[in-house]
Amino acid sequence: MTRRMTRSHNRILAGVAAGLAEHLGLGVGLVRLVLLASSFFFGAGVFFYAWLWVLVPVAGEMAAGVSDNDDQDGDRLRLYRPAPTQPPVSPGPMARMQSRVRRFPGGTREILLGLALVAVALFLVAQESGLNLQLGTVLPLAVIAAGAVLAWLQLDETRRAGLMNVAMVDKPVGALRLVAGLVLVVAGVLVIVAGGGSWDLVWPAALASLAVLAGVGLVLAPWMLKFWRDLQAERAGRIRETERAEIAAHLHDSVLQTLALIQRRADSAQDVVRLARAQERELRSWLYQDASRADENLVHRVKAVAAELEDAYGHPVEVIAVGDAEMSERTEALIQATREALLNAVRHAGTAVSVYIEANPDAIEVFVKDRGPGFDQAAIAADRLGVRESVVGRMQRNAGTAVILSNADGTEVRLRLPVEPASNARSTTARPKREEQERQE
Amino acid sequence: MSERIRIVVVDDHAIFRSGLKADLDEGRIEVVGEAATVEEAVAAVAALTPEVVLLDVHLPGGRGGGGREVLQECAGLLGVTRFLALSVSDAAEDVVSVIRAGARGYVTKTSSGAEITDAVARVAGGDAVFSPRLAGFVLDAFGTASVAVEDELDRLSARELEVMRLIARGYSYKEVAKELFISIKTVETHVSAVLRKLQLSSRHELTRWAVDRRLL
Repeated sequence: MTRRMTRSHNRILAGVAAGLAEHLGLGVGLVRLVLLASSFFFGAGVFFYAWLWVLVPVAGEMAAGVSDNDDQDGDRLRLYRPAPTQPPVSPGPMARMQSRVRRFPGGTREILLGLALVAVALFLVAQESGLNLQLGTVLPLAVIAAGAVLAWLQLDETRRAGLMNVAMVDKPVGALRLVAGLVLVVAGVLVIVAGGGSWDLVWPAALASLAVLAGVGLVLAPWMLKFWRDLQAERAGRIRETERAEIAAHLHDSVLQTLALIQRRADSAQDVVRLARAQERELRSWLYQDASRADENLVHRVKAVAAELEDAYGHPVEVIAVGDAEMSERTEALIQATREALLNAVRHAGTAVSVYIEANPDAIEVFVKDRGPGFDQAAIAADRLGVRESVVGRMQRNAGTAVILSNADGTEVRLRLPVEPASNARSTTARPKREEQERQE
Repeated sequence: MSERIRIVVVDDHAIFRSGLKADLDEGRIEVVGEAATVEEAVAAVAALTPEVVLLDVHLPGGRGGGGREVLQECAGLLGVTRFLALSVSDAAEDVVSVIRAGARGYVTKTSSGAEITDAVARVAGGDAVFSPRLAGFVLDAFGTASVAVEDELDRLSARELEVMRLIARGYSYKEVAKELFISIKTVETHVSAVLRKLQLSSRHELTRWAVDRRLL
C-alpha cells in the first residue's frame, strides 16, 4: 500500500507545502518556491494550494476513527488475534487531541492571509483575461466569500465529508432530495408570507429570503457540523465501551471462572487438564470463529461430538477437517458411527485421539486414530454391540464401509460414506450419471 | 549426530521458555539463546546464528507482525538458520503466513518435549516438519485432487497427497513410510516438496483460500 499524502504539522500556512515536500521527497524550501513562483501564472500555485488544502487531511487526522480499536488493551488482545497486516499508525488519543487543540487558535491570521492571497490572485486573473471588474461589485463578493470560507475553514475536510455522507449529498438522489426539500420549504414560507399577494412581489421576496437563508446557513453550518462531529465521536466512544464490556463479560464468565475452578481442584491433575482443555476449546472457538461455516454442517457436528467425549473422558481429541458436507440422514449415521469409534478410543486407548474428516464430492471419509494398546477384534464377545453393530453395521446399512485396524501401536477406524448411495444407482441407471457429469462441470 | 544442535528459543512467556528448555533432550539440543520480542529475536539470531530457531508465531514488538516479521527480518540468514514455528494458534492464517515467510515447519505448543526435539533435529537436517493440522491446511488449500506432473507448483502429486493425508490422520513419518512401503527418507522428501510448493505456489486457488481466511 502506498503512503498517502498528509498535511504536515510543521507549517507556515496549512502545511500543504511541507506535506507535499515530504510526500515527494523534496526540500520544503524548493516546494514553497515552486508554489510561489507558479502563483504568478494566473494564480495557478494558489489554486493548487487551496485544492490540496481542502482535499488532503492533516497528518494523524486520517487515522482517527480507523484505528479506534487500538486502545491501551490492544497489545494484550493482539497477542491472541491474527496479526494486523499493517502496523497501526495512529498517534493515540492524546496526541490526536493535542493536534486538534493546536490547530484552532492562531489559525485566523493564517486564514486571512491565505484569503487575501486568493482574492488578489482572482482579481489579477480577471484583469489579465480582459474583464474590467468594478471594485464595487468585486468587494461585496469578496466579503461574502471571505465570510463563507472563514466559517468553513473551522472544519476539516474529513468532518465536511462526514456530514456530506450523512446527508448523501454526493449521490444525485440525495442531493436532489435535499434541494427539493429546501425549495418546498422556501416556497411554503413564501406563500404564507405573501398571503395571496401578487406574483410580482413573490419573486423579489423569494430571492431575498433565499439570500438570507443561504447567508445564515453558510455561517451556521460549521457550528452545526462541529456539534454533529462531537456527537459522532461520543457515539464511537460508546460503541467501543460496549465492545470492551462485552469482551470483559465473556472473559469473566469463561476464563476467570475456569481459572478459579482450576485453583480449587489443583490436586487433581486429571480435572485440571480437563478444565483447561475445555476452556481452551471454548476460547478458541470464540476467537477464531469461522462465520462462513454453517453451524449445522458435518464438520461442526463432529467437532461437537469430539468436544463432548473429550470433556467426559479427559483425553484430548484433535479434529482435522478438509472440506465440509451438508447434513442428511446418512451423514447423521456417519456421525453416530464416528461417535462410537471415538468413544471406544477415549475409553480404552488412554491416549490422545486424532480424527480426520475429508469430504469430497464423491465420498466422505472419517478416520479415528489412537495410540493405545489395541485390541483383537476376534476376541470381542459376540454379544458386545459396540464396534460390530454401531460402527460396522451402521455404516453398511447406509451403503458405506467401515474398516478397523488394530495392533500394538494403536487402532485406526476408517469410515467411508459414498455421497451417491448404491441403492439409488440401481433404481435409476441414467440419472446418477448425468448428475455426476454436472458435478464435474 | 554427535554434535548437539544449537538453538534459540523465541517466545514472549518466560515460563514457557524455561519449561520448554527443561523438556528438550539435553543430549541432542543446546539452547544458546532466548528472546522475548521481535527485536530481541532478530538480534539474537544475527549474533548467534543458531542452527534452528524455535519461533513463536505471536510475539510483541516490531511492527506487530510477530513471528512472520522475525522471518522477514532474518530472510538473509534462512540458508544458515532454520526456523521452526511454534504456536498455540490453530488459525490457518497464522500458521500458513509463517510457513510462507520461510519457516521449515510448525508444531503446536502442546507437543511433548520428545516430539519437539525430534522436530528440531529434523529441521536441522534440512527436512520439513508438518503437524497433522498443517497437513490438513495444505489439503484444504491445494484441494484433494492430484495431478500426475511431479514438478508442478500448483498441485500436489498423488504421492504427496497420500503422505499429507496420512500425516493429517495422525501418522508419524515412520508409520507413513510403513503404510506406503517407502523409506522414511522418501517421506521426508515428499514433505519437503510440499513445503516448497506451499512457500512458492502462486496458484490462484491458494490465494483465494488465503483471502477467505483473511491471510493476504
